[in-house]
Order: sequence, then structure tokens, then C-alpha cells
Amino acid sequence: MTATQERKVEAAPAESRTINLITAVTEALHEEMERDSRVVLFGQDVGARGGVFMATAGLQATFGKERVFDTPLSEAAIVGAAVGMAVRGLRPVAEIQFADYMGPGFDQIISQAAKLRYRSGGQYTAPMVIRTPSGGGVKGGHHHSQSPESYYTHTPGLKVVMPSTPYDAKGLLKAAIRGEDPVIFFEPKRLYRASKGEVPGHDYTVKIGEAAIRREGTDLSLIGYGGVMPDLERAADALGAEGVSVEVIDLRSLVPWDKELVLSSVQKTGRAVLVSEAPRISNFMGEVAYSIQAEAFDSLLAPVGQVAGFDIPYPYVQDKIYLPGPNRITAACVQALNY
Amino acid sequence: MTTSPLVEPLPVTGIQPFTKEPIRYIGEDGLPVRPLPTAYTPERLRELHSVMLRAREFDRKLITLLRQGRTTFYAQSSGMEATQVGLAHSVRPGHDWVWPYYRDHTLALALGVPMFELISQVLGSNSDPSRGRQMPHHFAARKQNFVSISSSIANQVPPATGTAMAQKYLGTDEITICTFGDGATSEGDWHAGMNMAGAMAAPCLFVCENNQWAISTNLRGQTASENIHIKAKAYGMPGFYVDGNDLVAVMEVCTHAAEWVRAGNGPALVECLTYRVGSHSNADADAEKHYRTREEVQEWLGRDPVVRVEKLLEHLGHPIGSEERANMISAVHREVDEQVIRAEATGQPDWRIMFEDVYADMPGHLREEAAMLRAEQEGGSK
Repeated sequence: MTATQERKVEAAPAESRTINLITAVTEALHEEMERDSRVVLFGQDVGARGGVFMATAGLQATFGKERVFDTPLSEAAIVGAAVGMAVRGLRPVAEIQFADYMGPGFDQIISQAAKLRYRSGGQYTAPMVIRTPSGGGVKGGHHHSQSPESYYTHTPGLKVVMPSTPYDAKGLLKAAIRGEDPVIFFEPKRLYRASKGEVPGHDYTVKIGEAAIRREGTDLSLIGYGGVMPDLERAADALGAEGVSVEVIDLRSLVPWDKELVLSSVQKTGRAVLVSEAPRISNFMGEVAYSIQAEAFDSLLAPVGQVAGFDIPYPYVQDKIYLPGPNRITAACVQALNY
Repeated sequence: MTTSPLVEPLPVTGIQPFTKEPIRYIGEDGLPVRPLPTAYTPERLRELHSVMLRAREFDRKLITLLRQGRTTFYAQSSGMEATQVGLAHSVRPGHDWVWPYYRDHTLALALGVPMFELISQVLGSNSDPSRGRQMPHHFAARKQNFVSISSSIANQVPPATGTAMAQKYLGTDEITICTFGDGATSEGDWHAGMNMAGAMAAPCLFVCENNQWAISTNLRGQTASENIHIKAKAYGMPGFYVDGNDLVAVMEVCTHAAEWVRAGNGPALVECLTYRVGSHSNADADAEKHYRTREEVQEWLGRDPVVRVEKLLEHLGHPIGSEERANMISAVHREVDEQVIRAEATGQPDWRIMFEDVYADMPGHLREEAAMLRAEQEGGSK
């Protein structure tokens, strides 16, 4: 088989299975490598070790060292090499051990990956994926807990994705690998093993840019993404016990994001509370809040609420207090309901 | 084929890495300092001389365009013709891949990028293959595998390594050429890319066009290293040191290094010691007033790579007459004038394309923004 040929995936068992989020990531990588020999996987420790969280465990043994390999410890080189490989026709999937470490590769992401298609007038493109564990809740201090997605949502040319369920993780990662644009794929590390759910036995993708309604409701739209999603569900449960009907929305993709679904939900409920764990200033949810007030103002029964991380470097000891848990989310919802 | 006794083959093994002095074939007086390889017939040298002269006069004319306000930025490569034309000799255009830096228009011309495309880009005209997205002098040429130039310094080095890694994975006989100035070697990206290329044995030829000035910082201010090419040792690759104003030396060394890379030995670095005769850009047009001496510039003008080839041809008994030279220059000026008129006649890219090529398909938020701008521009409604 030549490297540019694509191969059809063997028919997978039709039964759905319950797996955790990191297994979904591994399965997506495995299946995409089976399907397309242009897909190569690399980063620090991704080979024999299988990555610091074991997302690539077993893949080197299956696909060989040419396709799954460790690199020097250099985010600039890892990201930059991905750009160069993509330009030459491969489908690179680079792993950065923690989103906090993307700093040295930042210029490669924003100046090369994001801009190449535009600045060359479409003569060159960089279809590539950067996978990286993101967010807090694992006692990692500020170099292993930050949520830097806004740096990347602020950069035209990049797609930015953050799933919260195994189904989405698998489907979105496959879509990212098959897509024609550079994708920053944030994986909420505290959900790697905590988030379990069903995935189909057959091949599927989840379209980047579409949000999901996790539960329908009529009184308030509770909107989040990534690691906070289980807390949104808990808050919705608590409010539900009090007779409040909460609609829970998982954005899943930040760029592009599903404005249509969010607006139609808010037009129905009249109230919105936006939740993320990134610091509040320049938080991506600010964009969502702007769109709601600009385009659904007449439907609003209360100001748009926002629950975010604090504008401090992520603390180690106060890890759990920093995160917007169910109590803070519930309080914001109550405030909106009582306005 | 000439029968000059000076034209003798030089075994490729005669080119050594890590030499104390730059490798040289033609002295500053135009006389060979070692036997010339047989490939360099006077006919071939005349051909290459015309490419150098074309690039030199392109520079002169483009500076005029700049002064006329018909473009906003230009980065000259006068004085660096031997480096870029010599390097082009080792590249197979459209087969090998090039990650260039922003002073490489001579390289682009030598690789066969049409002057019309270069001028269209500099003018940001509708005929610009990059669709007017980049500031002037940041070319991309798909047919020649000449990848889009980024303004960020050394930013092209890790991607060049990646392209070379892809070539290795795909099992092609292509190589990647990555160029940069001396200033780039101070950037983290340069070290990251060089280190990765060494560790991965990527088929990448790195070429430092050491013109000795990074805007107003000279080489001594740039690094305490004795020179650039010895840094290759740290990354496990050979480093070659060549007189960048000596066309034959650059061709020989780059070809040798490219063959070495092509044979699967991993990457190599070539340092071409040359000089940027002009200013960095129009932003420092008074370079001699602020950061370098007139004497230094004069000294390097005396090592002019174009003149050196002319002296060599004279020595070989095939001189370029003054009338012939003047005709060549007017022909280039005419060509530039014609291409400028042709490019300007295509107009400017329509504002509607502003939103294209950000992504493969235009997402909803860009469609909305495009509609908003359309309303603004056309005075209509959304």
C-alpha cells in the first residue's frame, strides 16, 4: 500500500459499547490510522510509552515506529513539523503533553498552521490536528491545569474543539483528522476516565461546529463545554428537583461554534448561564454572551450569567475551589431565575 | 565545451565540512583559485550570469517602484546573487521543496518563478497568486514548491524539517531546502528545527544566507559563535562554509551537500558568507548613517558576485562586452516595466475574497461578517 492510498476500514461490530473518553480518543486514532496511511502520530512519549495519559497506548506496536514516534522535547519542533508534513500531504496528529506547554509552539500555531492557507491564497494548506490535555481538577498546578482555548479561538484559521463525552471525542477527532483545516483538539483531562458513555460499533464522525443539547428544558439555557459539563448536569439536577426546567447545551466546538442552536435555545428559555473554567477576562464565553445579547435581546428575561475560572494563575492547593462547581453554577442560575 | 586548462573536474569528496575559511573557487579578482569543475563551461557561466544580472536589475527597478509609492515594502537581495543563484543550481524545481525566507526573490527567479508572479505579489494586484494577502515580497509559488514566506524569523525552519520528514516517510527522492539569514540562527525555532532534523535524519538542506546584518544587528552582535556553520556539529550534521559571493563555490558546495542529503544521510547546513549591500528595507534606507560604515559597504562592493563572474568570463576568453551588458540591463528594465503594467492592469483583488481561504469552507460567522461588509460596501442591506 502506498502512503497516499486510503484503505476501507474493516466492518466494525455493529453493537455499541460503553467506554471512557480516553479510550474513545485511542480508538479514533487507531481507526483513522487504519483508514488512511497518511495519518502519522508523534510527540513526546507517544511511542513506546503511549503518551503521558496513555492515549496512544499500543499504536506504535500496531502501526510501527515510522507512523507513531517520539520526537525531541520541543513543542515548536513538534507543531512546526506537523505543519511541514501537512504541506507535503500527510495527515499529522501531534500530541502536546499538556495544553500549558503549547507556549513554545505558539508561533508555529498562529503564524504557520493558522495562516498558511490564507496567506498563500490557498496554494498551500496545513490540515493537521494538535491534541492536548487541557483544564484542571487533577491537582496539577498552573502548568498542568490551564484552559488556554481563548488564545486559539482568537486566531482565525484554526478550528478549536473540546469534547466532553466519549461519543463526541471519537467522532470529533475523526472529523478533525479528515478535515482540511488545522484543528486544536483540547481533551478535558479530568474527564479522560471519569466520562463514560456509549459509542457505536460503526464508523461515524461528529461535525465540527455543531453543539449538542444534553437535556431539554424551558426555563433556562445552561451552556458549557469540556470539563465542566458533568457539573452543568449536576446543577440541572439540583434545579430540576426544585421544579426548574433547565436546558443543558454542550458547545463541543468553539470555532466554529453553533450560534444558531444557542440562540434558538435562549429564545425559548429567555435565560442563559454560560460556564467555562478558563479565566473570565477574554473568556470565549464572552463571545457567546455578546451574540446572545445582540441577537436574542428581545427574548431575554434576565442578564446573561457567566461562571468562569478566576483571573489568577491556576492554583495548586485550591484546585477544586478554583473550578466552577455545581454550587457556583446553581447560584448563577438562581440569580438569573430571580431577576 | 571549452578546452581551457582551468576547467578541470574536482572530485566531490574534495569538499570538506567545517573548514576554517570559506570554500572558494573564484578569487576577488575573478581568477580561479582552484581548478574549475568541467560543468562550468563559459556558456553555462554566461547563462547563470544573466540570471544574476536579471535579479540585480529587478532589485533596482523595484526600489524605483517603492520610491514611486507603487508598493510599500521591498527587501533587496543585491550582493547576494551568487548565494541564491548558486543554491538554485542544486534544487530540482517542482520536485524538491523550498521553505524560503523573505529576501529570496533571486532564488525564486532562478527557480523559474515567473517575474510576473513576483511583481504581482509585490504590487498586491489581482494577478497575485497569494491573492493580495501578504505584505510585499512574501511570495508563494505552488508550481515550484516554493512555500509561502512568513515574516516571523526562523518560523520556516521547523516546518521545513516536517516537510523533509514527510518526504522520508513517503519514500520519495525529494529533499527540502530551507533558507534563512544569520539573524534567524538566534531564534528558538531555528534550534528546534535543526535539532529535530538531526534527530530524525530528515532530508533537509539548511542554507544560511549570512549577509552579516539582521536589520541593524551585525553578526558579532548576533552570536558569540565563531561562525554559523560550526553550529551544525551540535545537531549532528555536516556544516559547510562557503564564499557566498563566489557563484561556482556556492554551486559546488550546495550541490555536494544536496546530494549528500538526497542519499539519505540526513540533513546538512551550508553557510554562505555574503553581504547585504542595500538596506534591510525601506525602513532603514539610511543604514550607513546609523549602523554601518560606508567603508564596509565599499569593501563588499569590491567583492561584487556579478562582477566576479564577469571577470572570470573575461579570463576564460569569453568576456561580456559593455554593449552586451548594457543591452542585457535594458532588456530586464523593459521586462520589469512590461510586467508592472500587466500586473497593474489586473487591478486589485476584490474585497469579497477577504473571507476566503481562512478555512477550506467558509464557516457561518465568516459568512455573516462577509454579508455585513457587503452591506457596508454596497450600501445595501444584510
